[in-house]
Amino acid sequence: MGLFTKFVYLLGVRKKEVNVLVVGLNNSGKSTVVNHFKNEEERVSEIVPTVGFSVERFQNQNLAFTAFDMSGHGRYRDLWEHYYKDCHGIIFVVDSSDRLRLVVVKEELDLLLQHPDICNRKLPILFFANKMDCKDALSSVKIAAGLGLDKIMDKPWHIAASNALTGEGLQEGVEWLTQQIRDVILSKN
Amino acid sequence: MSAFKRDKKEEEDGGGNPFQNIEKTTVLQEARVFNDTTINNRKCTHILTKLLYLLNQGEQLGTKEATDVFFSMTKLFQSKDVILRRMVYLGIKELSSIADDVIIVTSSLTKDMTGKEDLYRAAAIRALCSITDATMLQSIERYMKQAIVDRNSAVSSAALVSSLHMTKLAPEVVKRWVNEAQEAVNSDNIMVQYHALGLLYHIRKTDRLAVTKLVAKLTRMSLKSPYAVCMLIRITAKLLEEEDSGNDSPLFEFIESCLRHKSEMVVYEAAHAIVNLKRTTSRELAPAISVLQLFCGSPKPTLRFAAVRTLNQVAISHPAAVTACNLDLENLITDANRSIATLAITTLLKTGAESSVDRLMKQIASFVSEISDEFKVVVVQAIRALALKFPRKHSVLMNFLSAMLRDEGGLEYKASIADTIITIIEDNPEAKEAGLAHLCEFIEDCEHTSLAVRILHLLGKEGPRTKQPSRCIRFIYNRVILENPTVRAAAVSAMAQFGATCPDLLENIQVLLARCQMDSDDEVRDRATYYSSILGQQDKSLYNNYILETLQVSIPSLERSLKEYTQSPSDQPFDIKTVPIATIPTREETELEKHKAEGMIISNGPAKPAVVSREENFAEKLSAIPGIAELGPLFKSSDVVELTESETEYFVRCIKHCFTNHVVLQFDCLNTLSDQLLEEVRVQLDPSEGYSVLKEIPCPKLPYNETGTTYVVLRFPENDLPNSVGTFGAVLKFIVKDCDPNTGLPDTDEGYDDEYMLEDLEITLGDQIQKINKANWAAAWDEAAPLCVEMEDTYSLSSMSTLEEAVKNIIQFLGLQPAERSDKVPEGKTTHTLLLAGMFRGGIDILVRAKLALADGVTMQLTVRSTDGDVAELITSTVG
Repeated sequence: MGLFTKFVYLLGVRKKEVNVLVVGLNNSGKSTVVNHFKNEEERVSEIVPTVGFSVERFQNQNLAFTAFDMSGHGRYRDLWEHYYKDCHGIIFVVDSSDRLRLVVVKEELDLLLQHPDICNRKLPILFFANKMDCKDALSSVKIAAGLGLDKIMDKPWHIAASNALTGEGLQEGVEWLTQQIRDVILSKN
Repeated sequence: MSAFKRDKKEEEDGGGNPFQNIEKTTVLQEARVFNDTTINNRKCTHILTKLLYLLNQGEQLGTKEATDVFFSMTKLFQSKDVILRRMVYLGIKELSSIADDVIIVTSSLTKDMTGKEDLYRAAAIRALCSITDATMLQSIERYMKQAIVDRNSAVSSAALVSSLHMTKLAPEVVKRWVNEAQEAVNSDNIMVQYHALGLLYHIRKTDRLAVTKLVAKLTRMSLKSPYAVCMLIRITAKLLEEEDSGNDSPLFEFIESCLRHKSEMVVYEAAHAIVNLKRTTSRELAPAISVLQLFCGSPKPTLRFAAVRTLNQVAISHPAAVTACNLDLENLITDANRSIATLAITTLLKTGAESSVDRLMKQIASFVSEISDEFKVVVVQAIRALALKFPRKHSVLMNFLSAMLRDEGGLEYKASIADTIITIIEDNPEAKEAGLAHLCEFIEDCEHTSLAVRILHLLGKEGPRTKQPSRCIRFIYNRVILENPTVRAAAVSAMAQFGATCPDLLENIQVLLARCQMDSDDEVRDRATYYSSILGQQDKSLYNNYILETLQVSIPSLERSLKEYTQSPSDQPFDIKTVPIATIPTREETELEKHKAEGMIISNGPAKPAVVSREENFAEKLSAIPGIAELGPLFKSSDVVELTESETEYFVRCIKHCFTNHVVLQFDCLNTLSDQLLEEVRVQLDPSEGYSVLKEIPCPKLPYNETGTTYVVLRFPENDLPNSVGTFGAVLKFIVKDCDPNTGLPDTDEGYDDEYMLEDLEITLGDQIQKINKANWAAAWDEAAPLCVEMEDTYSLSSMSTLEEAVKNIIQFLGLQPAERSDKVPEGKTTHTLLLAGMFRGGIDILVRAKLALADGVTMQLTVRSTDGDVAELITSTVG
């Protein structure tokens, strides 16, 4: 990268563009999370189940995010892998009130981590323990333990309890992700 | 240097096509930039263009390649560039059928189609419908309904047309959008209205009543869009054809009122509809024709073309009405547009008088070399019609045709000329000599093998009966020297025919055949040796059986039988008698086919696969049923006989399949009651004396609106031929279970027995006889004299008033094939001889000669020769 462009980025005049992948089981709140990151005027009032995927853009601290909001429906989970290759970060949304399917979440997460396009890269993964407002929601610590996150050694990860309806906890999580990606990019340069 | 030259050449050929040298692999490689984090819009658009270009050039992508490129393409959704996005839509549509998991873009597309950007919406709808399957349609149904009634006309149109395409996938879902479509019909936009009407009609077209209501409503509404009105006229015309009310119905009034519409398109459509209605009388035709006449003088070439083409079509059905336009058509002969001129002339030929033929032919000759092959074919067809109409003009027409034959032209064109000449030869004995001479000359310089073979075959059949058969032989032998093996082989066969028919030429033919035995091709040598050894025997009956008569069996059946024989070898020699005999198309069918093609300029699409005979079809079906396969080869299947009125509770039709000693009755039953489920459906027969029922194969289940088949196997009376003709009483028996009309599920498990009377079923003589084509009937007749039993009787057919009627009835009754065109009665004669040939089940040959005389009713002397005396007696006795 040329000296000038590097200079521009350091000063934060021009935004760096990054791709993030938003995955998780169906009905975990992925589209709602992404919807919350968008500008006020672009938000949609009604979220319907995503079929396939949808592309959304938002910004955080001078980083332009392109989020590939994937469908979490069982039928479409095989399609996530098509988008692993060129993403800079992963947002994994977990429905913390759905104890029953936590094993499914774990299985999907393991598959994701073992994928050749993921396993050898230092990709930051952000977990949202979503729906924290639900009565019987598990705490983020319990979820981290349930998913065996402590075994992830080669990738930076972070788990944040969130409520995507109100936006609680989202900002904190995405700020962590932004910082991580920024570090990776800077270290590459 | 050479490389430089090639480059230069490519440059010249290319004509500046920037995409000329692109390759699939390179483009797929380039498509990887779609995966970049930052998208270069211009570059990606260009690559997508290349990809689309390749796909449209017929380049095939593998499923994996397509899926890979499809998923890279989906990443382009992050770009906001309008042009790129629209290219993506096109890419999705192209790849939707090849790539896997294309539903991945569903949400992205629904977002675009409901979004604010109008430029995206219509295209997104089209792309969405191309990736959606029946199961996914439910999830986008809501958006489609909204889109149909959208204010933006492009969006609405796209949704309507896409819905139309979706009806192929999920007709039931699309049916639910009928209210939205109804609303769209009221749109102000002309395209939306047209598309909405199209969809509405498509949804309702199976329901006659709904279509009638729709038409009644819309005809009163006065639609704004001329396209929609045209569509409505077509629907109305179809409705008029279907219902039997007179032409004073409001529907017809509507079409007629459209003749005064302000749009030319609508006026033409209305005129076209009126002239094409089957029942139009000349009075109703008049305004339509006068509209077309007006169009003939229009400055717009399209209108002139449309008008003259329609007139050309009507000229056959209503020649008198078209005569009124003759003056205008005369003017169009000199039209700068050759297509219009050709149609004008051929129309005139169809309507014109005998006196004007010469003049018109001269006119055509002046420009025939300038028009395309399709129009030349139209001209040729017009000449054929003319030749049949005015037999006396055959010399003029024949000369013209032979001149056309010498011109350049494609196979279809040449074949149509040869066909016409052959038709003229068959129809008009006077023209035979001249026609054959022209054909002889033509094959001297014919580059189409198939055509040359056909003509050689014809020469072999007809040539020996001309005054100077030796003239033809020279032409035929020239083929042996000059042509390719296929034509040479055909020429050898043709020569053998001469040898067999003309004894005085036999010696010369033998010399020629001996020369052919030195040929380099196997087939030619084989045929030459075969024929020369048969001709060497000097035995008339051998000639008849092995040279003059062609193979009677149906070719596909023969192929199948031989294959079976080679696969399961047995010690017995192959018996050709077991192969079903080919059915001969009736005169009506051939006429119909000819008529269909008449005067139409339609490209006929890819050639259809060879038609398998009906018997062949049935044979295959029947052999799959246990108990029927053992009966031996199928001999003949009768026409369909209806045993009930077509609109009753149960609709039953019967087909009689005749085997050597058995008859299988196939009953096709249709249940028309929606609240009944029938089980164990069978037909109980009350067979006439001598017949025994061997087996009944019931139809286990017959739900509403489905056709089921039940069979009865009977044995013909043994050693009692006269009783094989008989009438059976028939009763349909079944178990009824009442069921819910909507689901078709029975209410209870218990059913009750019921029966339904059917009309009586007849086994006739014709059912047991297969038609056989005898090319040389007289020879076969003479040959049969010593071997066969002859029976003769005289009858008076008092109910017949003309010879034609009598001939038609006899052929139908006996089920025999007329030979030597004796089924055509020359006009004005009071006596006629009808020659018939056929085969009785079990392979018994039958030859029948019926001498007819007309005096108060028709008197007939019937002579039957058959290898079996009982069969001959059966025929003479049943005729009475």
